[in-house]
Amino acid sequence: MNIKDIFTPFTVWSSVLKDPVTIKNPIGREAAPRYRGFHYNDINACIGCGTCEAICENQAIDLVPVEGIVTKSGDSGLRPMVDYGRCCWCALCVDICTTASLRLTNAYTWVDTDPDNFRFIPGVDKKDWDEVQLGWRKPEPNYSFYGLHRQHMGELHAEDRKSSFIEFVQGYSKEQAQQEADRCVSCGICVATCPAHMGIPEYIKAIRNDDMEEGMRILYETNPLPEICGRICTHKCEDVCSIGHHGDPLSIRWLKRYIADQIPTDVNTYQDILGTGNLAKNGKKIAIVGSGPSGLSAAHYLALLGYSITVFEKLPAAGGMMRYGIPEYRLPYDQIDKDINYIASLGVEFKYNITVGKDITLDQLSKDFDAVFSGTGLHLGRSTRIPGSDNENVYQSVDLLRDIVTGKPVPVMPKVVVIGGGNVAMDITRSMARLQMEKYGKVDVLATSLEDEDFMPADREEIVEAREEGCTIVPGYGPQEVVLENGKLKGLKVWKCLSIFDENKAFNPKFDSAQERIFEADMVIESIGQGMDLSYLTEEIKSKIEFNNRGRIVVDADYQAKGLPWLFVGGDIIEGPDVIHGIANGHRAAMGIDRFLNG
Amino acid sequence: MEHARLQLVNKLFNDRPKSYKYNLFQMKLLIDRLTQHYNLTDYKQQRHNLAFVTVDKQLSPDIITHLRDYEGFSHFVLLSCVDWIEDDKLQLTYLLNQPNHKYEIGVRVLIDRKNPEMVSLHKMWKQIWTYQRELHEAFGIIFPGSPRLEENFVLEGWTEKPHMLRDFDTKEYAERTYFPRPGRTSNDPATYMREKLYPNQPVTAKTNKND
Amino acid sequence: MINSFLGFKPDRSLYPKTNAEGKLEIDLSSHQYTKLWLGPNHPGVTGNMAMELTLNGDEIVEGKTHVGYLHRGFEKLIERRLFVQGFPTSIRMCVAEPDTNEYLIAACTEELSGYDKQVPEMAKWLRMLSLEMARLQGLLRGVPGQAGTFSLGIGVQWGTYLRDLILDRFEELTGARVYHMYIIPGGVRGLLPDGFKDRMEDNLKEIDQFIIKIRKLIFNNAVFKTRAVGLGVITPKMVDQYGIVGTNARAAGVKRDVRKDNPYLFYDLLDFDPPTATEGDVYARTWVRWQELIQTVDLIRQIMAKMPEKGEIRAQMPNVLNWRIPQGETYVKLESGRGEYGLYYVTDGSDKPRRVNLRGPSYTHGIALLEDMLVNTNIADVHALMVSLQVCPPEIER
Repeated sequence: MNIKDIFTPFTVWSSVLKDPVTIKNPIGREAAPRYRGFHYNDINACIGCGTCEAICENQAIDLVPVEGIVTKSGDSGLRPMVDYGRCCWCALCVDICTTASLRLTNAYTWVDTDPDNFRFIPGVDKKDWDEVQLGWRKPEPNYSFYGLHRQHMGELHAEDRKSSFIEFVQGYSKEQAQQEADRCVSCGICVATCPAHMGIPEYIKAIRNDDMEEGMRILYETNPLPEICGRICTHKCEDVCSIGHHGDPLSIRWLKRYIADQIPTDVNTYQDILGTGNLAKNGKKIAIVGSGPSGLSAAHYLALLGYSITVFEKLPAAGGMMRYGIPEYRLPYDQIDKDINYIASLGVEFKYNITVGKDITLDQLSKDFDAVFSGTGLHLGRSTRIPGSDNENVYQSVDLLRDIVTGKPVPVMPKVVVIGGGNVAMDITRSMARLQMEKYGKVDVLATSLEDEDFMPADREEIVEAREEGCTIVPGYGPQEVVLENGKLKGLKVWKCLSIFDENKAFNPKFDSAQERIFEADMVIESIGQGMDLSYLTEEIKSKIEFNNRGRIVVDADYQAKGLPWLFVGGDIIEGPDVIHGIANGHRAAMGIDRFLNG
Repeated sequence: MEHARLQLVNKLFNDRPKSYKYNLFQMKLLIDRLTQHYNLTDYKQQRHNLAFVTVDKQLSPDIITHLRDYEGFSHFVLLSCVDWIEDDKLQLTYLLNQPNHKYEIGVRVLIDRKNPEMVSLHKMWKQIWTYQRELHEAFGIIFPGSPRLEENFVLEGWTEKPHMLRDFDTKEYAERTYFPRPGRTSNDPATYMREKLYPNQPVTAKTNKND
Repeated sequence: MINSFLGFKPDRSLYPKTNAEGKLEIDLSSHQYTKLWLGPNHPGVTGNMAMELTLNGDEIVEGKTHVGYLHRGFEKLIERRLFVQGFPTSIRMCVAEPDTNEYLIAACTEELSGYDKQVPEMAKWLRMLSLEMARLQGLLRGVPGQAGTFSLGIGVQWGTYLRDLILDRFEELTGARVYHMYIIPGGVRGLLPDGFKDRMEDNLKEIDQFIIKIRKLIFNNAVFKTRAVGLGVITPKMVDQYGIVGTNARAAGVKRDVRKDNPYLFYDLLDFDPPTATEGDVYARTWVRWQELIQTVDLIRQIMAKMPEKGEIRAQMPNVLNWRIPQGETYVKLESGRGEYGLYYVTDGSDKPRRVNLRGPSYTHGIALLEDMLVNTNIADVHALMVSLQVCPPEIER
């Protein structure tokens, strides 16, 4: 120590005349643009999926109903309420928010004397910082708490698949399925949208745990046709999937197929897994008309309850539209058989080639059985009724699709035009492409629809795949006339469609005759929808039951026909048309029949 | 600038594996030497500079002394305990560091969970008694002879079972001891939507089975 | 030195005798001794720690550390939470440098789940930047704080102001001032904001001036020298006996630095040499830390110069809600401002860790070492000793 050490510290006196820091930087500055301050939620974008609640490590978030926000498909109607007594402002809730509606503003001062005010619903309860735009938002891009992109589904190449009817979607491998299942945030928003209300988050969890038997049990709780649904379901669930708001929705349908594909075909294995080897009969008999999805679903759930079921089917095999409407390349027959064989193994009796109304009357069924379920479906093709549509080379898609399955000779001509933009139109388009490939070695099919490309009712992937296979899709044109030359079909005249619905939202298409096109064709196939054939209902029955303005039978919540207690109706003739609605109302009708017979 | 940075990173990815290999080689030699004297089970090379071995409870003081005195593991890093409640075992982990070779070894000792007792090593390193005191409080392990073993470490007046055991439920304790904020309820979206949109529709399959 | 300077010569005959077991025989009823509780609420004690002192006059004959007054059971709480939920809790295990906890949780989970190779390069540089910034703000408080324990408050005020500037930069980068919650398993949570480097450079220039001022204020100060030289000497032999790490070991001449010994992140790309001293007393420790302050400023400049301009910030990890890690265990460590700071992490294949055990340097410095050092010192030196060992009670309590 020396004398310098005594005097050197006095150098601090050099700062004595400087302004203090508090004068240079007074209190009240704005926080940094990324600051994690108070919550704000865009309640119109929020869907109440609850992932914020799931990830909150402090249990600071509750999901509560909010007045004025209606619970509907894709929106639970709940909104997060934050308890600032617990919140630690880690913003994990923001980082995981599936809709990116939740954020933290950079406001950080709030004084209130009532502690209960610090529990509030961001975005609903008005706060001073609601308009503040700065603050913590979900970091973008390439920063996500769950996989944004779905697993690529292996498919046969378009060149390979268009020359045969073999299934071209290859299904997920175990690794792919687990990675896809890993993306699920288990919010359960999809369950309400699924017509059958399947336990989607639960069976996806079973995939993550690699427990296929558990997955199978969950599937059969609400859906007895998992192999079929896993391939051709219209997957409305995926439309509302919460992670689809910022990323690809989960491949729920393919995951369902993955579970079903893992179970061996043997019915005994099915019975072991599902615990249905030992069902008790209750002595009551039910007749089911039609073996489509609704009929099979009703048969399955009634059989579980101990009823003796007889299914009457007009065609030589069970499955209805699933077998006779959907082409084999989308739904192979052995997969239909896999599901149906298990239902048959529960003691369900199938009677084929029996047309109710012709071979046996409905009245007779009502006498022989305790109740009747009718799910006869939509098997009549609708015609456009344009001039020339009565030509012999104008066909109905449902008839052709059925003939392809039953093995009847199907007329295949070098140039085909399909009218229609739905899934059935795509099915016949792609089937005809395959048949043309077989016969002529090249594809020349054109499909035209009223709707614009963005509004075509067919699934997007169907349109894309049809194009890949060499089919031409020309959306936005309305058919006007089948062009004939000496009674021989030459083509289809179409006009550009300007609008489909009028001001009253009634179907009333407007065309621009100036934009006329003629599609050359040797064969025109109409595929603009199907109608029901209710000719099996006698006049007496018809007089007892009621019909609504669309010609559908009026049923109650149990699918019991109004006025005729022993008759239950379901399937496409009530709701749909699609498989999953049929399965759902088959199940509900089964419960209705059980209530009707057992009180 | 970017070029210089890339050169740096490339250098790193060239140099690191060499030192990793050297480290691994040294650790392999160490394990070879140890297996000549002791019965090591469950040897796992977690990283190039970190390995775990399991040894017998009776042998563990011996092997730890050997490591310190003959293998240069002079720096005692950590004594920790893991509760394997399913196997009815407590796992004590003695983590030792070799400052010259710069690698670490974790010596695992499995002791009985019902009668947890372990030899005290407080004479080997001066901080070990602290760890032993903490483990006594947190897991109920007895280290005979360890100084101030019975003194409270962080929990004054604790009467419950040792709090770090797996079967001590923190949440249940908190709910029992403190009061929850009144008026807090939450809803599961899927359940709430079912109640609102389709309360009467079947979501499970009913079965009628023979007993 | 202090004793000789003040002309104070302790009378050893008045000291308590040790009994056969080696324990002190202290009879409080003899009125020869006083029990004094220093803390948990005491301005001189960093954090909420209490020291139970037995005094003979104003000399300490026995000292016991008591912890557990603030934070308890964080390890247990992390064991009950998902892997991604661990880091907001972990930061509370050391408030002085919260980023170190975040990094350890992230590094452990990445290593055990096999994602450590996927962490993007940019994220690693940003992790390093935030860790060095954390060290810098800790030193800005710690170095003048040592003088503060001898009632030299002006340096603390300067340091606090400069630390606040670093916290401003933290706020810009991470969205929070103290609990940054920035390093997340898989990467980090944000890129550098525009103009960050310029503002940081402005702050570092101010700190450069501060470094010179603080040298004049502290190290060429008669009072500080009198009090700090010769106080709380750590000998090289003690380093291994007590498990002393970090600046405390380096001040005793034992050059151990995890950044050099087991390089993590990109520390082997930075040009630095950990400062050392040989005396091992409070003065030497403060001197080493002051040199480390210079070095940290340099390291931050190096990182900002060497890091890429842009890049990915987080690897694509499994869905955080479904993330399971196979059974395994690891120990990851880093060099914090206080020394080797490590995390022992055990997983059992479920979605939550089986055991999380933090090894903070204070665990040994604050109990075994401090208690032994307190004996024979003056009551006024307790705080100086505690601060010089950089004891942070939350990492003892955990």
